Amino acid sequence: MTPAGPTPGTPVLEARDLHRSFGGVRAVNGISFSVAPGEILGVIGPNGSGKSTLFNCLLGQLPPSAGQVLLDGEDVTGMTPAALNRRGVSRTFQLLQVFPQLSVRENLILAGQEHVGSRLGRLFGRPDAGLTAAAERMLHLFRLEALADLLAGGLSYGQQKLLDAAMAFMAGPRLVLLDEPAGGVNLTLLGAFRERLRAMNQEAGSTFVVIEHNMDFVMSLCTRVICIAEGQIIADGSPQAVRENPQVIEAYLGH
Amino acid sequence: MFWLLAQLLVAGLAIGAIYALIAIGFSLLWQGAQTVNFAQGDFVSLPAFAILGFTALGLPLWLAIPAALAVAVLVLGLLFKRVLVQPMLHHGVLQLAIATMALSIFLENVLKDTGGAEAYPFPGLTGGFNLGALFLDWQSLTVLAVTVVTVSALNAFLSRTRTGRAMQATAQNPSVARLLGIDVERMIMLTFVINAVLVTLAAVLISPVYLVKFDNGGQIGLTAFSAAIVGGFNQVRGAVVGGLLLGVVETFAATYGPDQYRTAVPMVLLILFVLFRPHGLLGRREERRV
Repeated sequence: MTPAGPTPGTPVLEARDLHRSFGGVRAVNGISFSVAPGEILGVIGPNGSGKSTLFNCLLGQLPPSAGQVLLDGEDVTGMTPAALNRRGVSRTFQLLQVFPQLSVRENLILAGQEHVGSRLGRLFGRPDAGLTAAAERMLHLFRLEALADLLAGGLSYGQQKLLDAAMAFMAGPRLVLLDEPAGGVNLTLLGAFRERLRAMNQEAGSTFVVIEHNMDFVMSLCTRVICIAEGQIIADGSPQAVRENPQVIEAYLGH
Repeated sequence: MFWLLAQLLVAGLAIGAIYALIAIGFSLLWQGAQTVNFAQGDFVSLPAFAILGFTALGLPLWLAIPAALAVAVLVLGLLFKRVLVQPMLHHGVLQLAIATMALSIFLENVLKDTGGAEAYPFPGLTGGFNLGALFLDWQSLTVLAVTVVTVSALNAFLSRTRTGRAMQATAQNPSVARLLGIDVERMIMLTFVINAVLVTLAAVLISPVYLVKFDNGGQIGLTAFSAAIVGGFNQVRGAVVGGLLLGVVETFAATYGPDQYRTAVPMVLLILFVLFRPHGLLGRREERRV
């Protein structure tokens, strides 16, 4: 499957001179970047650098004070998260956000069901919204088969993280924003998790933006990395180049 | 002795089944809309009075019941949510719970002023048949059958339809449900509508037994509240188990103990459960408090 962008060469996501202040604090202070189709962009930066505020502006959870967010070249600034979700933007959560009293499979079906069928179909259509096959595929891809019928609330933290990620792919998204996907996942699971994400990127042709603290994870997953400090981009390039950038090293050590 | 116990058990289950229907509505409102509805008992009285009112106007019973159902959906579903719950919930769960207590007093006085303070008889089924020494009356059997069908239908709706699943998701995590494109407001409204249907059913089933009186709601509401707590506040199954248990215990207590303490039974059970098993028989521990 190849991503079907509007015109070739148009970035999937583009931020144009984004600003966001809280009182006198300029959390995001003029950030511009674009993400090409199929890219895995890592966003790193010390605590308080503005990563989360940037993410919230991109996801429609926080309106930017100034600037624009473009999705496939179309201005989506200020659009609600649900509206963005309908346009193929999905996300994972830093803090776990699964439905604890539904089974793993039901969680997956829920994540996709509002994207298919009509209003009438909601009442009279197939109860699984035709998504069982897609759910089984995700269960397989994220190695969750054995847990399919268990309640999501009973899974371990790492397993819930996998489920959260799998849910983000249920609607066949063009763009997935991953908020600290590696946080709290143990080392054994982490390698497998990275492989799953990479496979999803290649198979589904989705574009990723990843916020992450775990440097090794970012460096081994991402194709490009930007580093943010004090609300501005201080480095943009290959993982290797960013890792060796003296400004990045100073931002991390000096903080 | 055996036949007497069996007889009491049937009577207890029949009344308990009605408590269960009311308790299910109670816990659905809590799960789906953070609403602890202390007017739930009066929500049963309103359709009962409406049915009597419609029949007094000349409507046959089979038309009066759907007409009362429509009134219940409109007043106890849509209006209740829009006028009371929506504005009060911004102030907090406890504030809303207190507002429902006020609503209970208001409803009882409206019913008293418009319907009078008498206890009115309500049409029910008479007769029955013998099974050995056990007399099975049609009224109790109908109550049990209606409850089984209603609970099964509700369970199937919640677990096997897209809308039901979306309702569960809304109850468990509204912000993520909204993010996934689920129409959270519609799901919450649906919860109130389902509660209105449940209390109307309960009104039809319980009124032949308890008669229709403006202040019946207080006791019925407290019993259903206790049933929901005893069963575990966050589960449909729990409300069913709690309702049936309360009905049976209450019936046995009334037979073997002094009758005037019948209404104290649910309160005693409530206190014991709150003290020793606050998450109920089937419930899970919750961090939310009322």
